[in-house]
Amino acid sequence: MKRSTPYLLLLPALLFTVFVLVYPLLQNLLNSLHRVSLIRGTGDWIGLANYAKVFEDSVFWLAFQNTLLYASVGTLISLLVGLGFALLLNMKLGRITNVMGFVYTIPWVISPVVAGFAWKWLLNDNFGIINHWLISLGLTTEGITWLGDPTTALLCVIVARVWQFYPFAMVMFLAGLQAIPEEQYEAAAVDGASTPGKFFHITLPNLRSVTGVLLLLGLIWSFNDFNMVFVMTRGGPINASMVLPVLVREFSFVQFDLGKGSALSILIFGMLIALSLLYLKMISRREAS
Amino acid sequence: MRRRATVLLLLLIAALVLLPILWTFATSLKPLPEVNSYPPRWTSEKMSFRPYVDMFFYLPFATYTVNSLLVALAATALTLVIGSLAGFAFARFEFRGKNFFLLVFLLSQMLPGASVIVPLFQLLKEVRLYDSLLGLTLIHTAILLPFVIWLLYGFFSGIPREVEDAALIDGCSRVVALRKVLLPLALPGLGGTALFAFLGSWNEFFFALILTTSDTTRTIPVGIGLFVGEFSDVWNQMSAAAILFSIPPLALFLMMRRTFVKGLVAGAIK
Amino acid sequence: MRTILKAFLFAGLFAVSCSAPRDGVELQLWNFGGLPGLIEWVRARADSFNATHQGIRVTQSQKSWNMIRELLYTNLSAGTGPDVMNVHANYAAEFGGAGFFYPINTFPDFEEVKSWFEPHLLESTRYGDNYYGLPSSAIAFTLVCNKQMFDAAGIAPPRTWSEFRRAAKRLTRDTDGDGTTDQWGLVLLGGDRGGFSYRFAPFLYKAGMNILSEDLKRVEFDSPMGVQTLQLFVDMHQIDRSITPGFLAYQHSEINDLFCSNKVAMSIEGPWFRPLVDQKSAGKEFYTVPVPVPDHLLSQYETLPTLQDMVMYTISAHTKHPNEAWELLKYFRTPEADKYWITEELGAVATTLEALNSPEAASKENLALYRHELRHARPWPPHPGIISIARNVITPWCQKAIVGEISAEEAMRGAAAEAQEILDGAQ
Repeated sequence: MKRSTPYLLLLPALLFTVFVLVYPLLQNLLNSLHRVSLIRGTGDWIGLANYAKVFEDSVFWLAFQNTLLYASVGTLISLLVGLGFALLLNMKLGRITNVMGFVYTIPWVISPVVAGFAWKWLLNDNFGIINHWLISLGLTTEGITWLGDPTTALLCVIVARVWQFYPFAMVMFLAGLQAIPEEQYEAAAVDGASTPGKFFHITLPNLRSVTGVLLLLGLIWSFNDFNMVFVMTRGGPINASMVLPVLVREFSFVQFDLGKGSALSILIFGMLIALSLLYLKMISRREAS
Repeated sequence: MRRRATVLLLLLIAALVLLPILWTFATSLKPLPEVNSYPPRWTSEKMSFRPYVDMFFYLPFATYTVNSLLVALAATALTLVIGSLAGFAFARFEFRGKNFFLLVFLLSQMLPGASVIVPLFQLLKEVRLYDSLLGLTLIHTAILLPFVIWLLYGFFSGIPREVEDAALIDGCSRVVALRKVLLPLALPGLGGTALFAFLGSWNEFFFALILTTSDTTRTIPVGIGLFVGEFSDVWNQMSAAAILFSIPPLALFLMMRRTFVKGLVAGAIK
Repeated sequence: MRTILKAFLFAGLFAVSCSAPRDGVELQLWNFGGLPGLIEWVRARADSFNATHQGIRVTQSQKSWNMIRELLYTNLSAGTGPDVMNVHANYAAEFGGAGFFYPINTFPDFEEVKSWFEPHLLESTRYGDNYYGLPSSAIAFTLVCNKQMFDAAGIAPPRTWSEFRRAAKRLTRDTDGDGTTDQWGLVLLGGDRGGFSYRFAPFLYKAGMNILSEDLKRVEFDSPMGVQTLQLFVDMHQIDRSITPGFLAYQHSEINDLFCSNKVAMSIEGPWFRPLVDQKSAGKEFYTVPVPVPDHLLSQYETLPTLQDMVMYTISAHTKHPNEAWELLKYFRTPEADKYWITEELGAVATTLEALNSPEAASKENLALYRHELRHARPWPPHPGIISIARNVITPWCQKAIVGEISAEEAMRGAAAEAQEILDGAQ
């Protein structure tokens, strides 16, 4: 068998990766070091000036903070919800769990654009059904301006994101739960373990690798998620829900400063690499112990 | 008693989960002046399926649907073929640079769309694939490959080598063994992965928006975006389009649910 | 299974390669946005052009107005894109100046075509010595007042800032007695960054101010009068509470919904408001009046300018068929075509003299008012960076002041500093 077989097998995939990773990465790197705009095209070398412009832009720091919140809180809550639903569905109450299993995964199948608009309509402060219910139930006297208030806008986007992402976590957890050998529970029962005890000492440890995978994927995907924020708030109000991917679009396509947009792209890329390396280090350290 | 409480809880959760979709569906049945009335109501007078018909006259949605289908199916096929090869390579071979290549595929998910779009756009223009279904297919394939490879790698790893070893003893080469033995066994995983890829392409909006420009190559998500005009938003037709748009993936998912779950899970939990 | 999938792949490839070459000249026309009526009209006009011009074939494509900048950027920088498209007239400075739009004054019959249009409207398509497009439709920003609400309260539409503030306050009330306000005097388009600045600028102009200096080198909107203009809105929101609380998220459709359900009494709008309201609540009546002026300038009420905006049809500088594109451009802008802006509710004002002076024009609601306002209206200053300044500097700073995060003075100072950077430097 030829030594080169695996490389040949990888070749087609690598070709695609060159186009979707290597070439754009290099192009972005190049652009970030020059003055590039629609008006003047690619201009002179300006070294790290674009990066400086990004760091000096107060919206960048706001977006950075928001993106961290969006990614971490969004992913964590999605995992919690997913786990909760998985535990619920694992109780195997017959056909109802089958049906609910399908129903609970529906949000994931819906297009993010559609989801964004649907949540936007629900949260409309005058015409949305959520405020209407809150007022009818007496929980509040006037409608809450969900997407119009800088303090609640990001929260709303996170809720929509959780709605979209939790089914993925749920499905993974469910399969993980079903893979736990019965013997472990039986042994624990023999030892007289309580239900919470079983949960914390058997269920959770068995789900460790699934959780790890979900966290990494969830964080990376949320970090780069453009659609939800764009459709619901465009980054508003007054940049309160601005996240880094939407900011790249602002720089590149609205301000037409491709140099600045590329610099931000490289920064995002660097952040994600750092995140992944940190994460992988944590995983290997835990496996070593 | 405990069972009944649990069932009730399940139903309540289902209602909450479906809330956005139910509201969208309700909106899709209302005439435009009734959408967003005060106080908000689930029903209005003169509800009908009119918007579902009107939307095909407002924009050529029949064309968009065909385009979305073609691109999604082609991208799924291409991704599965190329992804299987790569996943097989990772699962069955040890070679120098294996971890490096794994990392490369992981990294290729880390550039945001807005960063990739301009170089890709210029590239497609160079090779004259701009504003073509083929170009969009290739881009979607490239986007979907990393995760698909990872899934299939995991799935292939989960199938014991002994199965192919038996075939190898009989004289097949590794690659033939792949085709004749491993793939049939991996069919559930492949099916699930295919659904994932189809979904990814079907719902994709950003690249489709920038990389296609004429009605003949437009896909549904981009078409839906057009309902949001500069001054007026035809919410009811847009909701109708959104509901119709969600039906094919839901139907596929319903049919392939078990295989999908198996594929996703086995692939991701190594 | 796999063979079926492969078959689809090839089907897709085949479908794509099926673009048979055609004889004659092919032109691409892009239409961004517009009301449904306008979209219909553009399609019909393109078809009619194809029918009457042998040898030229126009393919019309409808595009989202919200993505106009992405689409223009990616296409123009790659040398592709349409032959003819409609854009904001103030893109003449940004794109025309950079050589992306075709200078139509180089065509031999330009002088004759020029005479079709209201002279000072045509000037808006000029940058430097070149004209970069033909005016399509003109907009002047005015104040619309909900007739039902105003009549019920016995108030007349306001002319001065004091009257404006008082009217808004009077019309902010709790209508159903449950203890919470459910009706407001004024709504602002907070959710659209460009749009918000377009509603603030008229007040600056009506206060007799400039946004930039004549030579476009210095910022002038941060003068004491400018701070006072912003302070008006700050006070209305913070003290009177007469501005709708959720305005930061509102787009056109929210404003329409609020206005039609009588939850808001006034808005700053343009000629599109009539067809917009008719979509939701046909025939709902409202007063259209000029944007209010500061109290001390009441004597100049008739002549103070409001903000003018205009859409123009332009030819791409990359076009391979400039002469045919010019034919298409003219066809879309003949006085006969322009008449549709008079007879149909297309959402803006006609721009040719013939249409504006036609007998049909006399019966069009509010046309007299818009013509009057347009006579004195001024567009945004023709600086390539003005759009950036309007949406990325003026809007966020003003919004921050209105919601009370900073004072009006701080906001104007901060905005002026950032705007000055844009004027001085990089772009």
